[in-house]
Order: sequence, then structure tokens, then C-alpha cells
Amino acid sequence: MSNSSVNNMSQTAQPSADGNNQVDAYRRRFMGAITGTVAAAAAITLVPGVFLREVHAADVTPRPEDQPADAKIRWGMLIDTRRLTDGGESMVEACKKEHGWGNDPKARPDQQAQWIRTVKVTDKLTKNSFTLPVMCQHCETAPCVDVCPTGASMKRADGIVQVNKHTCIGCRYCMMACPYKARSFVHEPLTDQLPHSPRGMGTVESCNMCVHRVDKGQIPACAEAAPQAVIFGDLNDPESRISRAMKALGGEQIRGDLGLNTGVRYLNI
Amino acid sequence: MMFSKIKSMLLLPLMLPMLLVAFLAGCDASPPEINLATAKEKAEQCVEPTEDMRRNHMVYLNEHRDETVIAGIRTKKHSLNECINCHVSATKADGEALHYPDQEHFCASCHTYAGVKIDCFQCHADRPQVLDNSDYKHKLSANSYHEMSAKKQPLNMADMLLVTGDKGAVQ
Repeated sequence: MSNSSVNNMSQTAQPSADGNNQVDAYRRRFMGAITGTVAAAAAITLVPGVFLREVHAADVTPRPEDQPADAKIRWGMLIDTRRLTDGGESMVEACKKEHGWGNDPKARPDQQAQWIRTVKVTDKLTKNSFTLPVMCQHCETAPCVDVCPTGASMKRADGIVQVNKHTCIGCRYCMMACPYKARSFVHEPLTDQLPHSPRGMGTVESCNMCVHRVDKGQIPACAEAAPQAVIFGDLNDPESRISRAMKALGGEQIRGDLGLNTGVRYLNI
Repeated sequence: MMFSKIKSMLLLPLMLPMLLVAFLAGCDASPPEINLATAKEKAEQCVEPTEDMRRNHMVYLNEHRDETVIAGIRTKKHSLNECINCHVSATKADGEALHYPDQEHFCASCHTYAGVKIDCFQCHADRPQVLDNSDYKHKLSANSYHEMSAKKQPLNMADMLLVTGDKGAVQ
């Protein structure tokens, strides 16, 4: 099993040329059509550390609302922990605000939902420590999808792992299976949820890479909150900003030994 | 005198069915009058004919939810959020927040009568939240729009500051 996972990883990292040429050609034409944005993106990425909003607009190409998620795409995120000045706190706050979690009135502090959290890591020998934000890693071979008895824990065509709360029975197998402790359970009745992010009692929830935003052609709220440190984009497109950055700088998985081929990658961990 | 009494006795069998019909009309089998005023302010016509919506809205919603969550199709026509945006006002007559358990809530007004229990609103927002987008409207047909304006809602100053602060941060 680990062998096949490793194979999958290497395939994703270096896509075979045949299948992707057409897609690339299409993408280039598409990008050419929005020349203004592309010009801005090309100019700006030459200056490291300076990212403007136009660049992110190009990271996610808007899709017509009547079209399903594109299976040719795999959304991913690259987080540079050294560029996170606050260890990722702003990303956590942005997520709370976007999805309305974190202040469930009756939950104990350890029961509160936690779609994204900051984890401090210290090397025992050198005492060198850093903080990184940890959320659903959007695995290619997600253990939570494997164990779900109802199919509620699912991976969308574009690689986003999420809970379909319509079929979730709240058994919490996925919470047990997830090696990243990315999932939470809602214990109490909630009111005044946000229209774009339904959450309710008896269902498991987790980071869904802001599907509602990605479908509109926007980047996730956390990536928007830390533009100096986070790149969001299509891992399958070798020309995307995230693919070029990962090709040049690498992109480590946390618990890479599990061979899950995560969609969320880190630098400097 | 005697003749008129006989006449009324003869009329009685005729009157009875008429009375019965009148009583039965009182126990009308059709649903109660639904409050469409909130929606009519925004559009003349719903996304499907009214009779169709009464009978089949749950089918449309069920199909649309799977398309949206699983496939990522986000058309607005049969979206629950758009139903709420159009049919439900954010506040009650007294200015308090309107929620599904309230009788004034568009969905509850008929579900209570029909004895229907739904769990949509355990997770989904049961009232429109248009504060952050005051000139909201969605396309209904080629030249008509469902309009959704926040002009009627009492605006909370703190919320407004939050929203404008947001927009400042975004730009």
C-alpha cells in the first residue's frame, strides 16, 4: 500500500507529458485571454515576498456556476512557516470568521470545533521551535474517506476533502482515522449559522478549503489572510504559481511517512 | 299556517346538504393562505410555477443539494439560500430576529399545518443575511431579477463597522 502511495506521489509531482499537453495549451490560451491579470502576475512574482491580489485571482480560474468541479484540477496549498509572522494565528481567525466556528455557546473549551489550529513544534535536542497552522491536509488517499460508513466523508473531483453533512450520521469514525486531528464534532444545537457554511448538531466538520469561495474563483479565507506566506492553487497544473514554487523550493508533508500525498504542503518545517 | 309548516318540513331535506356543504367548506383541505408578501416584493413569479413549488419544492431542494455538495454545481435557481433570501424577512414585525420555529417564518407557516418535520435549519441559515451585500439580486429569467435589499432592516452600527472594515482589508 505504501508503495502505491509513493508511486502516486511521484506521479503527481512529475505529471507525464502526454495527458497534460492539451490541458496546458488550453490553460495558456485561457490565461492569454485575461492578459492584464497575467502580465500583473508575471511582473509581481519576480519580486519575492510581494504578492498582490491580482495574482491570487489568477491562482483560481473562475468556473461557470452550472459546471461541476473539474477533475483535472487538484487544489492545494503551500505554507511557508518562516513567512508567517504570527505562526498562523491570523489564518485561524480568518477561518473562524469565514465559517463561524469557535464560539459554540455550550461546548467546553476542548469540545469547541477546530477547523484549523496552530501547533508549536520544538526540537528536543536543539530547542529550536516554530509554529505551523494545521488543518485538513486534503489527502489524495484520505483515511477519513476510507472509513466513513455512509460515504459522507468524501473527496470532490478537484481533490477537496469534505463532509457531506446531509449523509453524515455523526459516528465520528473519520475523527478517529484522521492522523492530523483535523475534524471536529458539533455537540449542541446551533442557530444563526452563516448561509454559505452550514454547520449543525450531530455532524462532523472540518476545513473544506472554502469550497464556496473556490467555486466562485476566490482563494480560501486563510490563504487570503496570510498572502505573504501562503500560495493556493492547482497542483496538477505545472505552470501554476504553487507548482512552480514547489518545484523550486519543495513542499514537505507533515507525517509524510504515512504516504497520504497531502494537498497542503509546508516550507521550512 | 299548517301549510307553511309542511312546506318548511319539505324544505329541510333540501337545506341539509346545503348546510353540510357550507360546513365542509369551513374545513377546507387546502393549505392555509401562505404569506407571499415578502417574496412578492422582490419578484412577481417564483422560480417554478406556484402549484409545482407547493408540491415539489422538497424534490428540487434534495436534488440541488447533492449537485452542490458532491459535484460543486452552484446554480442559484433551486438553492435553499435563495429561497430564504427571497421568502423570509430577516426580522419579525417587532424587529426581532425571525427564526424557523416562529409561525411568521415562511417555511414554518405551512410545515406546522402539514405536520412536516424538517432538519434543514439545524445546519442551514433560516434567515437572510444580506448585511454584507445590500444590493443583492439574483437572476430569475432573461430580464427579471429577484431583488434583495437590506433597506428594511434596522442596521446594527457595530455590524456595519465590521463590514466596512472587512472591505477595507480586502482592497
